[in-house]
Amino acid sequence: MSRRTTPAAEVVKYGIVLAVLVFAFYPLLVTVIISFKTNAQYESNPFFFDALDTWQWHNWAEAWAIVKPYITNSIFVSVTASACTLVMVTLASYVFARYRFPLKNVFYYLIIASMFLPGTAATLVTVFWLIRNLGLVNNLWALVIMGAAGGQVAGIFILRQFIEEIPKELFESAQIDGAGHLRQVWTVVVPLSLPILATLTILDFLGTWNQVMLPLVVLKDESKLTIPVGLLRLEGEYVKQWGQMMAGYAIASIPLLVLFVFTMRWFVRGVTAGAIKG
Amino acid sequence: MTRPDAPTTRPRRRHWLPRVRKYAGLYLLLLPTLLSMAVFGYYPKVDVLIKSMFRWTPGTVEEFVGISNFVEVFGDPLFWQSFRVVVIMLLANLVKMWPAIIVAIALHRIASDRMRYRLQVLFVVPMVVPGMVWLLVWKSFYDPELGIFNRLLNATGLMSVLAWLDGTADAPGVMPRVAAALRPALDTFVSPVFGGVWAAIALGGVLLIFSVQGRRDARRWWGYALVIVAPMVAQLFGALALSSGGAGILFAVVCLVGWLIALALTLGAGWLVWPLLVMYGMWACGHEPWRLPVLLAIGIGAGELLHAKVDRLSATDLLRRSGLAVVIGGAVLVAFGMIWTRPTEQFAGGTPAWLGNQDLVLPALIIWGFPWVGTVGVLIYLAGLQQISDDVYEAAELDGVGPVGKLFRIELPLIMTQVRINLIFMTIGTLTAYELYLILLGQDGGPGNVGMVPGLYMYRSAFIDLRYGYACALGMVMFVIILLLTVIYQKYVKVEK
Repeated sequence: MSRRTTPAAEVVKYGIVLAVLVFAFYPLLVTVIISFKTNAQYESNPFFFDALDTWQWHNWAEAWAIVKPYITNSIFVSVTASACTLVMVTLASYVFARYRFPLKNVFYYLIIASMFLPGTAATLVTVFWLIRNLGLVNNLWALVIMGAAGGQVAGIFILRQFIEEIPKELFESAQIDGAGHLRQVWTVVVPLSLPILATLTILDFLGTWNQVMLPLVVLKDESKLTIPVGLLRLEGEYVKQWGQMMAGYAIASIPLLVLFVFTMRWFVRGVTAGAIKG
Repeated sequence: MTRPDAPTTRPRRRHWLPRVRKYAGLYLLLLPTLLSMAVFGYYPKVDVLIKSMFRWTPGTVEEFVGISNFVEVFGDPLFWQSFRVVVIMLLANLVKMWPAIIVAIALHRIASDRMRYRLQVLFVVPMVVPGMVWLLVWKSFYDPELGIFNRLLNATGLMSVLAWLDGTADAPGVMPRVAAALRPALDTFVSPVFGGVWAAIALGGVLLIFSVQGRRDARRWWGYALVIVAPMVAQLFGALALSSGGAGILFAVVCLVGWLIALALTLGAGWLVWPLLVMYGMWACGHEPWRLPVLLAIGIGAGELLHAKVDRLSATDLLRRSGLAVVIGGAVLVAFGMIWTRPTEQFAGGTPAWLGNQDLVLPALIIWGFPWVGTVGVLIYLAGLQQISDDVYEAAELDGVGPVGKLFRIELPLIMTQVRINLIFMTIGTLTAYELYLILLGQDGGPGNVGMVPGLYMYRSAFIDLRYGYACALGMVMFVIILLLTVIYQKYVKVEK
């Protein structure tokens, strides 16, 4: 977009945006600053870095030792859940988009309707009880299953519309070549909807990664905690090592930041696309 | 006459087997989705409904108790008090939506495409940092002695400003004195006339309803009568039901359902807003039950009179303005006259305990997350803004509309769709969220339960008090309220193109 603007107007716009960004990033900056301090250093100068030779690098080493298992668990849960979601979403969307069969609309609207039935804290109660009865308490698979089941709804809603736009001829020619359902999905749906699949998967991943309440009630062992719950436990310790704690927060933020750097385009597009559709 | 391609009736039996095989394949592909949705999506939600009728502590008790859990919910002061917190947070969140809108508009107007994209990407970063990290970092900010927040306030001198606003018990500061100055207005005007600020806001609500719907049919009078009579009957029934036990409760429930159906029949599509208003009004006029019917009658009378005597457009306009004036005036009175009424005496020492002092918990929760752009908001608004065509701007420039004029005449009206989406998400989020409160304030919602929200109360009932059945009953009540609100939003917060 190229419109007439004046330098003064540009200054105002950049001023607003940058001022908000400064405040929005300030907590992150503070986290990094404190992560290099001992408690005494933090007390005397909380706002900025001390001289470089007094930086407490060992805070990061200690925090890494604590946070590492949490990160491993979180990666396991989020990757597995997103993969399951991806498979289920693709198959279900393909079936809903391409075929007519008895009870199709009933099933479809039951799935979509669950988007509008908000889960409250009470659902946490019954979900917890269900997981207990399945013998999955203190088991990461409980989180995988719940993440995969919950994550697929929005995905089916979006991907079905997308597959309906794919020209029928592509599927028909695949069929003539003798391709079954799975082969059609693999050769037609997946290549053509790769961008939207990437977006859906990333958003799904983010959602599972940030789950707090379910892991909090389901997981018991220290070694099985995911990042949010692990950080919560770290924070609750009686004698606080501020530097170590903040280093832990910083390390916990890194995996998603790395993912973000590589998938920036899908991120921005995904959020944007969801907004326009709605 | 038969067309050549018309389907001829052939014996179906031959095609039976392939058809089953075809469908079986499709159902097999759907099976994981259907099964997981049924077991992990719907079963827990249905189970909430079932278990809400049980006295249920896993492992020890599981006993059917009918609707007595619900009766207890409606008489539970802590549960209803928790809605006060939700209403306050909803109002605060309405204000907290603005920074994201303003930033999005500023970003949108930046001339260079490349710079805009770079800045836009930067706004994704706060989204990517785990929510728990934000929560815990902010929690550490609020530490009274060491926290960054207090030390920033002290370093910038804002702490002494707060102390000046606050004052001491002997010499109240500015805010308590403003509240004291407003008190006569509240006591001599608002309370005698409306029965309190909250009741006045209910009247404003009636006027606002009439500004969006002016019904013309004769049935509406029956509907209005039902609305006005309801609070009086409800009082009577409440007493009756509680005193006479099971049968009385059943009778009351049947009457309630009948009342809702009658409202739906007489008041048309927008009827859902009335039960909510009556519920709010009963809460607002709690100690003087006779006020609500009077207020409702006045509001409905004024609305009908205006619609009858003045032409439709100006009546709608007048109703909207007067309704908004009452609601906003009420909000201002609440903000300045009812919150900071006495010195908290926390600021003079320089170490206010934001999360540990009854008076400071809610402000701390509201300030939390400043500048409130950490969610998808900015990107969603930006996406909406980028759909505005350049022609609109050119036309506005030809008409000599300035930058501020463009904000109100072009950008805000044209992103109402996105604002509506965010409004719905924000409302549902505020009603259901409790992680924030649990983590910042603990399971009791801070000192004196001031930060207790319905979700947290549910969580505590279940996992701390081990009253699972009661928690499920709380959940059902919340569920119905949220559903009503969602439907109303779909109806009322329309996009005006």
